[in-house]
Amino acid sequence: MELFNALGLNVKTLLAQLINFAVLFFVLYRFGYRPMLKFLDERKEKIEKGITDAEKAQEKLIQMTEDEKNIIKEARKEALVMIEKAKNDAGEKRNDILKKAKEEIGKVIDIEKAKMQIEKAETLKEIKREAAELIIVAMEKVLEARLGDKNDKELIKKIVKDLQ
Amino acid sequence: MNISLAPEILFYIGKFGVSNAMLWSFVLSLVILIFTFFIRRNLKPVPGRIQAAVEIFFEGAYDFTRSVVGDDRKTKKIFPLVFTLFIFILAANMATFIPGQSALTLQTEDGVVPVFRAIMSDYGLVFLLTIIVVISTQIVAIAINGPFGYVGKYFNVKGIASFFKLAVKGEFKPGLLAQGFLDLFLGLMDVVGEIAKIVSLSFRLFGNMFAGEVLTAVMMFLAPFFVPLPFMFLGILTAVVQAFVFSVLTLIFITMASETQAVE
Repeated sequence: MELFNALGLNVKTLLAQLINFAVLFFVLYRFGYRPMLKFLDERKEKIEKGITDAEKAQEKLIQMTEDEKNIIKEARKEALVMIEKAKNDAGEKRNDILKKAKEEIGKVIDIEKAKMQIEKAETLKEIKREAAELIIVAMEKVLEARLGDKNDKELIKKIVKDLQ
Repeated sequence: MNISLAPEILFYIGKFGVSNAMLWSFVLSLVILIFTFFIRRNLKPVPGRIQAAVEIFFEGAYDFTRSVVGDDRKTKKIFPLVFTLFIFILAANMATFIPGQSALTLQTEDGVVPVFRAIMSDYGLVFLLTIIVVISTQIVAIAINGPFGYVGKYFNVKGIASFFKLAVKGEFKPGLLAQGFLDLFLGLMDVVGEIAKIVSLSFRLFGNMFAGEVLTAVMMFLAPFFVPLPFMFLGILTAVVQAFVFSVLTLIFITMASETQAVE
C-alpha cells in the first residue's frame, strides 16, 4: 500500500485516466482512424483506377496510331492507283484527240483537194470555151473574107460546134 | 531540489485531487482530439503539406502494423489501440520539451509544486495503459482459444489426465506423468509471465521518462547552460523510442495472443 501511495496510485486517479484514455481512443477511432483509412483506401482505388485508365488510353492511342498509319498507307496506295489510272486515261485521250485531229485535218485536206480539182476542171472548161470562141471569131473573120457562101458558113459552124 | 516519485496534486475538485500529470494528460488529449478533427475536416483528395505529413505517418504506422500482424482484417482491429497508444505516449513525451515548463510553480497546501510534469512519469497513467494492454491481450486470447482453452493454457492438466486415463486401463507410463507435471508447471510459469509483463512494460516506460525528468532536473541544477543539451537530445531519442517500444510490444503481445492456436 505504501508503495502505491509513493507512486501516487489510487483508484480515483486511475478511473479518471481510464475515462480520459477511453474517450481519446473512441473518438480517435470513430473520427480519426476509420474515416482516414476509408479515405486512404478510396483514394488508393481512385489512383489505381486512374492508372489502369491511363494504360488503357495509352493502348487505345497506340492502336489508333497504328490504324491511322494503316489508313494513310491505304490512302497513299489508292492515290497512286488513281494517279496511274488518270495518267493512262490522259494518254489515251490524248491519242484519241490526236487521231481525231489528224482525221479531221485529212478530211479537210481531201475536201480542199476535191474543190481544187473541180475548180481546175471548170477553169480548163472555161479556157477551152474561150479558146473555141476565140478560134471561131478568128475563123469567122478569116472565112468571111474568103467565103460568103451560106453552106460554107453552115459547115464551119458545124465544125466549130464539134470542136466545142 | 525536490523530486517526487508521485505526481504532485495541484488542486482539488471536491475531494478529488487533480495532479499536474493528470491535468496535462487531459490537456494533451484535447490537443490531439482537436488536431484530429482539424485533419478530418480538411481531408482533401490532393493533400496539402500537413495532410501529406499526417498521411505518411499514418500509412507508415499502418503498414508497419500490418507487416507485424500479417493480415488486413486483424490489423484493422489491432491498429487503433496500438496507434492511439503510440501517438498518446509520443505526444506526452515530446511535450516535455516545450521550453519554460519547469519555471512554472504553484503554491499549494502541500508546498510549492511544479505545474508541469512529464505525463509518462506518472506511474498511475502508465500502469493504467499497461493494464489496458494486458487485458486486451487476455481478451484476444480468450476470443481465439475459447474460455476453456484459455484456462487450459495456464492450468494445463491434460498430460496428467491422460496418464490417469491410461493407468485405469492398466497401462502405466511414468514418463507421461512427468511430462504432464512439466506442462502444468510451464503453464503456471506463463501466469507469472503475464504478471511480469505488466511490471516490465509499465516500469520500462515510467522508469525511462522519470529518469529523464530527474536527469534533466539535476543537470539544470548543476550546470544550467549548454551542459544539459546533450542529455536533452538523448531525452528526445528516449521519448520516441519508448513510445515506439511500448506500442510495438503491445502489438506483439496482442498478435501473439491472436496466433496461439495457429502455433499449436
